[in-house]
Amino acid sequence: MAPRWKAKGLESKALADPMSKIVLELQASLIRFEARALLSGCSALLALEAEQTNLLNRACFGRLIVTAEKDKHWFHLGMEEAFYLCHSLKCLKIIGEDNCPMNDEELWRDMKSKKGTFPEFYKAYSHLRKRNWVVRPGSQYGVDFVAYRHHPSLIHSEYAVLVLSEGDDDANGRLRVWSDFHCTIRLCGSVAKTLLVLNINKNGQGTVSLSCLEHYDVGERTIMRWNPEHCQEDQTIGENGIK
Amino acid sequence: MDATDCQSCSVEFSDDEVYLVDQNDEEDYYASGSISKLQFRKDVSKARWIDELGMAEVVEKKGKMWTTTGIIRNGNTYCSIEETLFLAEIGALLLLDDSDTSLSLKDIYEKVGKEKIGCCWPLFEVYRHLKSLGYIIGRHGVPWTMKVSTGRGVNNTGDFVSLQGSPETNGVMGLESREESSVIDLFNNLQIHEMRLVFDVYLPNSKFKKSSPGDPSFVLCLTGVYPPSKAEIEALERQCGSIPLKFCHVEYGRVSFFSFDKVKLPVLP
Repeated sequence: MAPRWKAKGLESKALADPMSKIVLELQASLIRFEARALLSGCSALLALEAEQTNLLNRACFGRLIVTAEKDKHWFHLGMEEAFYLCHSLKCLKIIGEDNCPMNDEELWRDMKSKKGTFPEFYKAYSHLRKRNWVVRPGSQYGVDFVAYRHHPSLIHSEYAVLVLSEGDDDANGRLRVWSDFHCTIRLCGSVAKTLLVLNINKNGQGTVSLSCLEHYDVGERTIMRWNPEHCQEDQTIGENGIK
Repeated sequence: MDATDCQSCSVEFSDDEVYLVDQNDEEDYYASGSISKLQFRKDVSKARWIDELGMAEVVEKKGKMWTTTGIIRNGNTYCSIEETLFLAEIGALLLLDDSDTSLSLKDIYEKVGKEKIGCCWPLFEVYRHLKSLGYIIGRHGVPWTMKVSTGRGVNNTGDFVSLQGSPETNGVMGLESREESSVIDLFNNLQIHEMRLVFDVYLPNSKFKKSSPGDPSFVLCLTGVYPPSKAEIEALERQCGSIPLKFCHVEYGRVSFFSFDKVKLPVLP
């Protein structure tokens, strides 16, 4: 499916304002601000001022918490988002439940203990973010993430993402039976998204330490339904099968 | 920067239920009279079923479908069980047994799924589904036309020696796909039909020639009880080389097709 920009002119607007640049500005701004987030269960809570708020929204991280406070904006960050800002972009410090900043290893262990699939999910999340895709939670579509080419105000998301792990220990357990297959594809189709499966191969590294992460591989595959009724004589086949 | 840039990401939730893709829903299926869309033929061809081969030898050809149906061996045309049954169902073929008695549709249905014939009911449903839409379908790896060496499997009068469907017969007919020759019998005897490459499929093409068919548009893999794993998909892709692979799943008589294509998401600006 081709990218669906929400209105005319938005594609060039996005080109003029690349996500990579927005993220770099966000990173610089959060470092200057000495941003700190409070870890609470599977969430991180972050208070920002106007400049950082603007950049965080443009880069599409977190969800705004509506409060009565006038000078501060509170945001809720998911585990992968928080870890990305902290570990990958190094622009956020996470304060643990004991009021002390956590180092990356501590944070890794803590998040892993709360969500067993965190290592694979984080690898998938950072794989996409590093390629400047906007990544948001996918739970309302029955998938793990949704990926956008740019800010969701400009474009509809193209991909509904499922994270699968190599081997029988795939704790995410999706697409193991045909009914889940049919269900997921039908839902993706009805919201005009392509199902993208990210297969995480840990290459025997396990999850013990954060350093295992860099040895993981990510395989990308799209799963699409093919409709033989929609084919004409002598039509050439595109990269993703017959259109 | 205008207001939209500062919007938080809750705008993404306007994606819900953008449109409903065409689905072949139950109500449509029974209501539209799709059954009546089959065109029953006036020109009836004739073929004789040969048990040893698990195929029908065409004795009288009528109509244009023979350019895209049946394999040619030494100038004669032979149909697989799925081709035979498809044509019989639409009344385009009269099938005879070796004493020239005509076989009923029931007789032919009974043949599907028999050992050494290389077919099963779901596979026939897939064949029928695609063939009805005009696709050109051959068994994977089986050449459309071939000259077989005389002296093996054929006696002096040109009749086939009764070899009880042995591997030699299949080899003579070129029915064994080159890669799978050692496991043909194994596949035919499986109780639960495992995932395997079944058909080479060509897009509808009025210029199709059996003498030079070219590469198929895709190879079709029939899936089993469970969806394919990443490892299984990769192994099958290697077998197909550069030719695209599609998967089909048959359940309760409904056929679904999928592509599992490797992609490389671009690095965005």
